[in-house]
Order: sequence, then C-alpha cells, then structure tokens
Amino acid sequence: MALIDPIYTDDSRGVDTELHSLNTTVPVGDARPKHILDPGFDLTLRPMRYPQFFDMYKDAIKNTWTVDEIDFSDDLVDLDRKLMPAEKHLVSRLVAFFATGDSIVANNLVLNLYKHINAPEARMFLSRQLYEEALHVQFYLTLLDNYIPDMAEREAAFAAVENIPSIKAKAEFCFKWMDSVDTLEAITTQEERRRFVMNLICFATCIEGLFFFAAFAYVYFLRSKGLLNGLADGTNWVFRDESCHMNFALEVVETVRKEEPDLFDERMEADIRAMMHDAVDCEHLFAADVLGEGVPGMSLKDTREYLEYVADTRLHLLGYQSEFGSKNPFSFMELQDVQGLSNFFERTVSSYQTGISGDVSFDEDF
Amino acid sequence: MRTIVTKTNKNNTTTRGEQPSRTTRVTDEITEDGANVTLIETGTGSDATGTTDGAATLTDAATMSDTLRDATDAGPTGMRVTKRNGAVEPVDLNKIVNAIARASEGLLGVDPMRVATRTISALADGATTRELDELSIRTAAGLIVDEPNYSKLASRLLATIVDKEVRNQNIPWFSESIKVGYESGIVSQEVYDFVDANAPELNAAINSDRDRSFEFFGLRTVYDRYLLRHPERRDVIETPQYFFLRVACGLSTTTEGPSAVDEAVKFYDLMSSLAYLPSSPTLFNSGTTHSQMSSCYLLDSPEDSLEGIYKRYTDIAKLSKFAGGIGVAWHRIRAKGSLITGTNGLSNGIVPWLRTLDSSVAAVNQGGRRKGAACVYLESWHADIEDFLELRDNTGDHARRTHNLNIANWVPDLFMERVEKDWQWSLFDPKKAPHLTDLYGKEFESAYLSAEEQGLFEKQVPARQLYSRMMRTLAQTGNGWMTFKDPSNEKCNQTGGTNKDGSPRVVHLSNLCTEILEVTDQDNTAVCNLGSLNLGAYVGTGAGAEATEFDFARLGRVVRQVVPFLDRVIDINYYPTPEAKFSNEKWRPVGLGLMGLQDVFFKKGFAFDSPEARDLSARISAHIYFHALWASTELAETYGPHEAFDGTRAAQGKLQFDLWTTPDGNTVNPPAELDWDTLRDRIAERGLRNSLLIAIAPTATIASIAGCYECIEPQVSNLFKRETLSGEFMQINRYLVRELQACGLWDERMISEIKQAEGSIQGIDRIPEELQEVYRTAWEVPQRQLIDMAAERGAFIDQSQSLNLFMETPTIGKLSSMYLHAWKSGLKTTYYLRSRAATKINKSTAPSGGTAPTPEGGAPTETKTFTDEEAMACSLENPESCEACD
Repeated sequence: MALIDPIYTDDSRGVDTELHSLNTTVPVGDARPKHILDPGFDLTLRPMRYPQFFDMYKDAIKNTWTVDEIDFSDDLVDLDRKLMPAEKHLVSRLVAFFATGDSIVANNLVLNLYKHINAPEARMFLSRQLYEEALHVQFYLTLLDNYIPDMAEREAAFAAVENIPSIKAKAEFCFKWMDSVDTLEAITTQEERRRFVMNLICFATCIEGLFFFAAFAYVYFLRSKGLLNGLADGTNWVFRDESCHMNFALEVVETVRKEEPDLFDERMEADIRAMMHDAVDCEHLFAADVLGEGVPGMSLKDTREYLEYVADTRLHLLGYQSEFGSKNPFSFMELQDVQGLSNFFERTVSSYQTGISGDVSFDEDF
Repeated sequence: MRTIVTKTNKNNTTTRGEQPSRTTRVTDEITEDGANVTLIETGTGSDATGTTDGAATLTDAATMSDTLRDATDAGPTGMRVTKRNGAVEPVDLNKIVNAIARASEGLLGVDPMRVATRTISALADGATTRELDELSIRTAAGLIVDEPNYSKLASRLLATIVDKEVRNQNIPWFSESIKVGYESGIVSQEVYDFVDANAPELNAAINSDRDRSFEFFGLRTVYDRYLLRHPERRDVIETPQYFFLRVACGLSTTTEGPSAVDEAVKFYDLMSSLAYLPSSPTLFNSGTTHSQMSSCYLLDSPEDSLEGIYKRYTDIAKLSKFAGGIGVAWHRIRAKGSLITGTNGLSNGIVPWLRTLDSSVAAVNQGGRRKGAACVYLESWHADIEDFLELRDNTGDHARRTHNLNIANWVPDLFMERVEKDWQWSLFDPKKAPHLTDLYGKEFESAYLSAEEQGLFEKQVPARQLYSRMMRTLAQTGNGWMTFKDPSNEKCNQTGGTNKDGSPRVVHLSNLCTEILEVTDQDNTAVCNLGSLNLGAYVGTGAGAEATEFDFARLGRVVRQVVPFLDRVIDINYYPTPEAKFSNEKWRPVGLGLMGLQDVFFKKGFAFDSPEARDLSARISAHIYFHALWASTELAETYGPHEAFDGTRAAQGKLQFDLWTTPDGNTVNPPAELDWDTLRDRIAERGLRNSLLIAIAPTATIASIAGCYECIEPQVSNLFKRETLSGEFMQINRYLVRELQACGLWDERMISEIKQAEGSIQGIDRIPEELQEVYRTAWEVPQRQLIDMAAERGAFIDQSQSLNLFMETPTIGKLSSMYLHAWKSGLKTTYYLRSRAATKINKSTAPSGGTAPTPEGGAPTETKTFTDEEAMACSLENPESCEACD
C-alpha cells in the first residue's frame, strides 16, 4: 500500500482526503522528498517529478552496443606496422588510463551518487549508467588483452594506477574528491550538500568532461590519420555514452540549482574554478607523459590549449564565464561534432537504434 | 633524344603541376625546369627535390606580403626536422610558408599563413620532413569548413608529395611506371607490351594539370588505395594520371590496329576529367596481373548438402579475394529440425552455416584495400526466416550472430498481399518444398498454395507479425533489405526464355548492393562489371544559351563511348570460378550507372523533389538506357549478339519500360526526343551484345574520387564527415557555402548553427526560404518522393538501383507504410534503411545547446577582451578576419 502513488503531494494543491485516510502507514504529505537531495529512498514514479531523467534513461537504452561488435583486427596490423614509436607510447598510456578511469567513475557512482540523488527516475538512469561504465571497462579490458600479448606487460598496464606517475596523479585527483563525500551517510546540512554538489560537478566536468574528453582527443587524433579504427569505433560509442552521463549530471546540478539556489554562491564558483585549474594541470601532466616522445600533429602546447578550451566550455555549461579564454586548436576534434557517413566496406555504422516501437500500418506519413 | 626531351617536358609539368595560368614568374619556372632535367638525367632524387624547394623559397620571398614576412622573420622556432637522409636540421619557416603559399595560388579565400602557423604549432621536435608534409596537408584539410577551397589546397599539397614519391624512384614518365610495375610482377605482360610499343604517344597523353580536378578527399582516396605500390618498398609507382592511363591501357590491349592507342587516350581523357569512372575493381586491377575487374558476383544457393555448402565457401573466398562483392542465396538449405538422412540426426538449420560464412568472409582481405563483404538472401517462406532476421542483432546469443554478413529478404508478392490482407503466412522447409525457389509469379503462387493445402509447412504465422519483425530488423540494424522476387523476375530481360531442359530461368537474388539482378543456377554464377557517369560534369558544358542546361548530347556520346569498355571487361576479365566465366560469356551483362544526381540539382537550383527535378531525373535515365542499347547494337553488329539473346525479352521486342506501368496503370511513354522505333528496329535486326546494360550502384568510393554526391541520393547532410580506412575527412556542401557567401551569410555563427543542427539548415531564419528548400537533406525530403522518383527512373533500368531510404526516428508503422508503398510502386529492390542515433555526442567545438543548463538570465554572455598576445596570435592565425583589430 505504501507503494501506491499519492496523486498530490504538495500541500498547496490540496491532499485527497479520502486517499489520505486510507493510507495509514506512510503519511502522504511526507512520502515524497521536497528536493532531489533530500535524504531517503523515494520509490514513487507517478506523478513523475523529473520526467527529463526518465527520458534520458530511455534514450540511453536505445543506444545499446556490445563489445563483440567491434573489430580489432585492423588495430593489431596498425600497431604492428603503422604506428610510430611515439604513437605506440601514446596508445599504451592512453589505454592504461582508460582501464582504470571507468572503474573509478563506476565506484563513485555506486558509493557516492546513487545514495544521495533521491528520485527513482534519476536512479534508473544511474543504474543504466552503471551498466555502461561496466561495458566501457569490458571494452578497454578486451582492448588491452588484444593489444598487449605479453602477460607481464599486460599486468603492468593494468597496474598503471600504481606504476605510472601521471596516471597515479589523475587517480589521486579523483580519490580526493571521492573522499570528500564518502563518509556522508545522508546529506542534510548546507555544507554537506555543497560537498556533494562539488563531487557531482567534479566527476561530470573534470573527470568525464575533461579527463575523458582529453583521452578521446588522442583517439580521434589517431583516427583522423586512419589509425586504430577498432579503438576509435569503441571509443565513439563510449564518447556517446559519456556525453549522456555528463548531460545527466549537469541536469541534476541544474535541478539542485533551481531547488536550492543558495548553494550556488560565489564561494562555490571560486571552488569550481580552482578545481578546474587543478584538473587542467593534472591532465597537462598526463599529456606531457603521453606526448613525451614527440607526436607530430599533437604538440603539448596545443594540447594544453585544448584542455583549457574544454575546461572553459564546461564552465559555460555551469553558467560561468571563461576562465582561460583558449581556442580549440584541434581541427580533428571538429570531425567529432558532425554526423558520420560510413559504408559497409569500411567501418561499423554506429548510429542504429535498438528501441523501436509501433504496429504495422499502411497509412502513416513517411 | 628528341623523344626524351618531349617526355622530360611532360614530366616537368607534373612535378610543378601547380600553375594553370602562366602569366607570372616565367623565369622561375625555367630555373625549375633546368633543375628537373638534371633530376631525370642523373636520377639523383633528393638533390633535385632540394633544388626545387630552394627555387620556391627564392621565388616566393619576393611576392610575400608584409604580414607573411613579419611572421616568418619572427625568429627560429627551436624545432628541428629529420630529413630523408637522416640529417637533423632546424625547421625552416620560409620553406613551409613558401610551399603552402605556392600551392594556394588562385584559391580565393585561402590564407596560406593560417595553414603555416597552425602546422608549425602542431609540430613535434625532430619530426621527419614527411611528417611535416603530412601535417600541413591535414591542417589545410581541417579548414575546409571555413572555406571549401582549403580542400583544393590540401589536394595540391598532397599531389606534390605523391609526385615526389614517384619521382624519387626514378620514374620520370608513364612508360617507366609501367616498366617498373611489370618488372615487379604487378603489371601484365599485355599492358607492358602495349605501352612499350606505343610509349611516345602514351607518354605525351599525360595531362598533369588534371590533378587539379581532385578535391582533397578524392586524391587522398586515390593515393591511399588505388595507386599501384612497389611490392617491397610500398611506395606508389604511379601518379594519379598514370593510374588513369594504366586503367585505360588495360582495357585497350585487345583492340586491333592503331585505333587502340587513340581509344586508350580518349578513355584516359574521359576518366581523368572525372566525368565517368569505372568501378573500383576495374580501377584496382585493370592492366595488372590479376585483372579481376568485376564488382559483383551473385551465387545461387548452395545445394542442400555438406559438399554443396563447402563448395560455396570456397567459391566465395575465391571471388572475394580480388575485390568482388558477394551476393549469395541460402534458399535451398534445409531448416532447423529437418531430418539428416545420413546420420538420422536433425539439422540445426541455416544459422551455424552462416556463422561459418561470416568468419570466412571476414578472413578474406581484398589485397589489404578493403575487407571482403557479402550479403545473404533468404526467401520469406523459409522456415528459418525468424532466426535469419536476428543475425545482425547486437543483443542475445552471439553464437547466433553474424556481424560481417549483410542480410536481405527475397520477398514474393504473395507475402506482401497477405500482409495487406492480414492473413496467415506459411513457412516451409526447403527439403520438403524444394521447388518453390525456382518459381516466380503465377507458378510460384499456385505451387505455394498447393504446398500449403497439402500441409507441407513447418508452421504458420500471421503475415503481419513477420513483416513487423522485418521492419524491426531494418530499424535496428539498417540491414535486412527488402528486395522483391516477382518484379525482379518479371521485369528482367534474362527471364524471357527457358533453359535447354525446359526449366525456367530464375533470378534468385540480388547482389551486395541490391542493384544487380541476373539469373543464377548451379552452373551459372552471375557477374557484373560496373561504371558510373558523374552527372554533375554534364551540366553547363553546352554552348551559348544552353550554358546552364544539362548537356544530353554529351551524355549520349559518353554512354556510347563507355559501353564498349564495359563490354570488353567481359573478355579480359580474370574469372576466379568456372561458373562465373560460363555465365558471363553467355549473358554478357554490364551495369552502367550514375552518380552526382544531387550535384545536377544543386547546379540547377532544383529542390530534390521538385517537378523539374523529377522530370530531369527520369529523362537522364531514359537517355542513358537509349544510348546504352544503341551502343550494344553496334557491338552486336561487329561481334554478334550474346549467346543467349534469343531467350531474352528484348528479342521479343520488349524493352524495360514496356514491362512497367505508371501508378495509374498506363503504359510508360519514353521521352519522345529519342528515336525508339529506329532503336527497336536495330535490335530486331542485329540483336544486343549485352543482355543487361543499366545498374545504379552506390558508388561510395568512386563518388569520393570524383568529388560528387553518391549515386541517386539526396545529400545526407550539409556538413558531415567521411569515415574510411584512410581516416576521417570533413565534408562541407560547397554549393551551399558559395550561395551563403554570396548573401554574406557564411560566418562562424552560421557554421556553428549548422553543426548544432547536425548539418541541417532548416529553420535558420537568416537563410532565404528558397535556399532552405533546395538544401534540404535526405532526412528532410519526403521518402515517398524518393520512392516515386526511383520508380519513374526504374522504367529505364534493366537491372536495379541501390536505393537507400532515410528515416530519422523509425517506427514500425512508418516503416511498414513506406515499404508497402515501395512494393506497390513496382520497385525491384531497396537498400539500407538509414536512421540516426537516438542520442547525440556532445559538441566539443561548437557552443553547447540543447540539454545544457543555462543559469537564470540565459546563456553566459561573453565579453570579448584581448590581451596583446592574443591579438597577435589572432592576427597571425587569420589576419583578414581578426576581431581584435577592428
């Protein structure tokens, strides 16, 4: 009975007294949280408070893909014959980062985000996101297994977070922001909510929105040269997923902003700007390592500019002005913004939908 | 000695190759010519290259603008490059700037300095000169969206590299390229002898200025995949122009007498103008030791036995190896649960066999140039049809999936009728009903009904349930193409007679791209070699008042010129299996097609579905068909009709459009300006050399080479990227950019808006409505119109056309309506269903819109201020449009 949906929750709309009298165990007025960050486990989907999250969930389902669809066979030929040593180094660092990056995101999702975002439709999206993070981990796992035939070398790659300082530094950045909230059982005070929102923004804009976007840039750089198409195909799908994750998190931020505008004060903005600087520096350090052997077409200078440019666009998404004022120096990233056209002789087409509905009929418009 | 001088001059044109008008800098050119003569005579490649570069530096320093000079004088970059000989030296900014500036000449809107500074900024210390060259090309190509002429710049820079690569192997002229190819075992004896005997004329025919016809993507494709490479060194041994002439020579060696050279040169001239291109296998293999030049092979279903199935795997592997696309039917293989007499076991049906085929196809690599590809056809009455439709799903049991195979439905009319009536549909095991696949039309219907009455079916399902499943597969995978068995047979020229034993001749399937329809059986593997007219090249080539008209006279001439070349492939072709050779010699089918229909409409300013466009589209196809038939009667006059001519519908006086009706049931009247009566008399008198002449292939790759829109398709987007084995390339609608530039509307905001709208310009208020109408994308043109246009054109296509359909967000209801209409229109086949991803990738270079939250008060307002450094960087980047300076 407690699961039955009260029709009206807000006092101002008036409560259906008959229903109210039937429902003795859970007081109707209190059954649903007022704000999305109010502690608890709301189980009620109708009326839906945040239909936008449910739509995002449904869209995510439509974009289901599997690792088995990706053909790595060309990649192995490229690694063997076409990549320059500097590019090989780039790839090994990159894949090592990916192998741990998505796991960290998944952990934060389960341990920190799911607990506090109290709307069942938003939790549906998070559940879907969790599956996607696992899928990404599986993708990079498969990739590493394929790319690195030598067992010892492979083990070293998986232990990148311990052995490679530039990757370790990125992980530490993540852990720092995870640690800031992982002791919170419930977020009730304004200060606790601030910490939570900072974690959410950090993972959306710095980790998924900057670390991952920077990593995608390396992949797309290689793809613009026609290299490692298997990696690029999978990454394309990962990119699409990550875009959705970031949009979701930003939508949560926006919801919180509407519900609790006081949280978003000047201090918050200053903290976010500082965090962005940290993230850009951290990623710059990684770039110096990745590009350390000199990769023609991707200089460290241009990469720094790109990172700053991405950081600025994240700030714009949060409604803030530019911090760095940099321009995008990578024309190959422009390629990622436009619709691709594949033909079957070449690569897998990544734009088909899995969700499809309706019945046979003969008089619809087309 | 005199011939050497001639060749030398020709070669020099190639090396320079950059100035069509020679009004300036004559002196410098003479200097270079001197340098290159040295190269040829002494064969010291790197020296001469250095000399050429040096000459350029001196030349261009004099013509540089102040801005350019200031920038290049800005001081050393601290960067070093590694030269070919291993020496490391500081980056010479002047050299880079000058090379780019030279290549930019005559290109309006191109800023060489912008390319140079960006190139240098992306450079890594110690990069090789080759990497530096590649980088400058990619940088130029990255600016195509701002100004389409950067595509030409990138193309010219690439042409220089290709040229260098060839010259550095001491290949100064065409006949030497053939000689090197012959000595390394790639070029055939026949072509070597032919070229050797006619070297002066052939070398003189090369026109390197034609390299300038290429857009960047076209030349890149040619360089990456089409030019012959030395087997060990892996360097290309032919320039793009040598490549076209090699292809032409490969198709001319069988001609008798002195006209052979003349024909080869004319054919070269046609191809290098990009007005017509043969299909990829012909471009790859003509003149080589493996002259497999056919695009398509159609194999009948294997016989229902272990031996039959394994023989098919072998056939397919052999045919696939040399760049042929495969269509194979699977109608005859027994269904799941059928008895295997030999072992008294039960069959697992078709899926495990198709899995094996899947792996086999993926393993065959077409000379490293592309992967093998195949499409499997299945009749809609086959009891395993439901498993078949799941083969491409990305969910479920992967042991029952085939990710490399394409799948297509071979749909009888009776099925569509039952879908309409909402009746039951019976599914049969071919082991119990083996005759169904060899029947069509009324005979099929009565055999099906009688098998149904006898209760031979495995099971029955509501026809709409199966149809709905087919629609779902199309929406989810784009695959499971709808091809229609009865119209394909009833409107096929080859099904006018019976085999010697009285059995009917039947078309059992289409090919990999659903444009070929030919009869098959166990002894006949159908083959087709293709070529496509680039229609945009026929607009505005006429004289005077006709300057913007479609030049039907030229179209007719070219059709008559190229049909003999398509026909000749049949004799020269290498056939990997005897069944293919047998069938092709008997039927001599060819497939002349077209591409760039959209270019014609853009040039004419027609909306794709306007009455003018519809009329022109059908007329073009009628003219092509008319002249192709005419050319085939001429060939028949010389060589006799093809062996099976008497059994064709044409022999009974029926041409393709006689087999079609208009939507209101009337006969189709072909354009009256063509003399069809005389043509019919000629056919009756002389016969035809070719049973089939017209097929419109997808032209994916050759349209790239020609720089035109594919096949009969509307543009998919005003801004998109091509993803290929050689990387990704941005493509912008040049016609649109020119129109918007003319209205002063092509600016960063516009680019950003078009990016946001995924390449659409609908609803951008600044753009005049007429332009919005003309520049709609395939997603925005009603598909009903595309289908109707395809049917109108179809009356002049004796095989079929690769008709893609587009639907942004497909539903079962919309799809089922659409495909019913396609069937009712009399279409023989359809191709991919294109749909779009449900969610979009975040734009990384355009301002985010859509779901991105904005703070109260709207989007962040950027107040632009510039530091001195920024202003400087900005003016270096693009002095003409620098916002900081105005």
